[in-house]
Amino acid sequence: MSDLSLSENLYIEPTFTTPEIRFEPSKQYFFIGGNSYPENSLKFYTPVLDWMRHFVEKHSPLPDQTIVLEVRLEYFNTSTAKVLLDLFRLFETLQEKGQPVRIRWVYLAEDTEMEDAGLDYQVAVKVPFELVPLNE
Amino acid sequence: MAVSYEHKLLYRHEGPLDMENLPYIVQTMDRLLHSEGLRPPFRRKVVSALIELAQNIIRYGAPDEVRPPLLSLARSEKGFVLTAKNLVHYSQEIFLRSYLTNLMEMSRDDLEKLYNTTLTEGSMSEKGGAGLGLVQVIFKADEFSYELTPADEQYSWFTVKASFSPGV
Repeated sequence: MSDLSLSENLYIEPTFTTPEIRFEPSKQYFFIGGNSYPENSLKFYTPVLDWMRHFVEKHSPLPDQTIVLEVRLEYFNTSTAKVLLDLFRLFETLQEKGQPVRIRWVYLAEDTEMEDAGLDYQVAVKVPFELVPLNE
Repeated sequence: MAVSYEHKLLYRHEGPLDMENLPYIVQTMDRLLHSEGLRPPFRRKVVSALIELAQNIIRYGAPDEVRPPLLSLARSEKGFVLTAKNLVHYSQEIFLRSYLTNLMEMSRDDLEKLYNTTLTEGSMSEKGGAGLGLVQVIFKADEFSYELTPADEQYSWFTVKASFSPGV
């Protein structure tokens, strides 16, 4: 993980407190899933945000393709909530460059707390933000 | 002797608290709430509060091997009470009293506004906190209280109680 910015894909294995991160530009598919309550979210997510900034800077828009970010979190802390917004803002920048993007917020259908969190992000970010309830 | 239903202890952790054992505590509490028949949104409220309170202790609590922190979950008549207790240096008392008094006097609307403003415009601390943990706990809990009581000349016990009612 020493020089993430030079990798084509970004992959970080999940732990009990940090999520799986799988950013695959060639498939237009970016994924964050699992628990996210690291002690220091800024420290954990800085390489991810740096990788994403580099990607946004270098990316040539593909107007006929949509890049999807799927977020499928279990437990996450408030500092993760803040960092996620920073990540979503980078998808806004990607969209401003002419790249169609979509964020999918996946949660258990009966988990209204997660639905509310998704609704808050849906209001806060200016990219298509889809709430995807799943039945167990 | 009958055990008081109002104070039935379901879980208690008194000992060192760090990022190594926090996942075990989180999983245990989640399973306990699941076994009590609680549904995902309620479990998320309680377990998220546990994570925030525990991580505040890990980040800002005074380390003391002889007097370690305490986390507990008890069943009450109305629902569940989460308790977090740890030592803090006396120099933190003034800040904690002022900060928590201010938060507890806020309406739910104002707490929500503060949460959203801090989320969108606030900055992260060097220790990785976003300044949102206690705001969220107070906003999500049905009842919240705290106590600061002297432990010795340098330290105080900081006790937080957050109550959650499944029916609310």
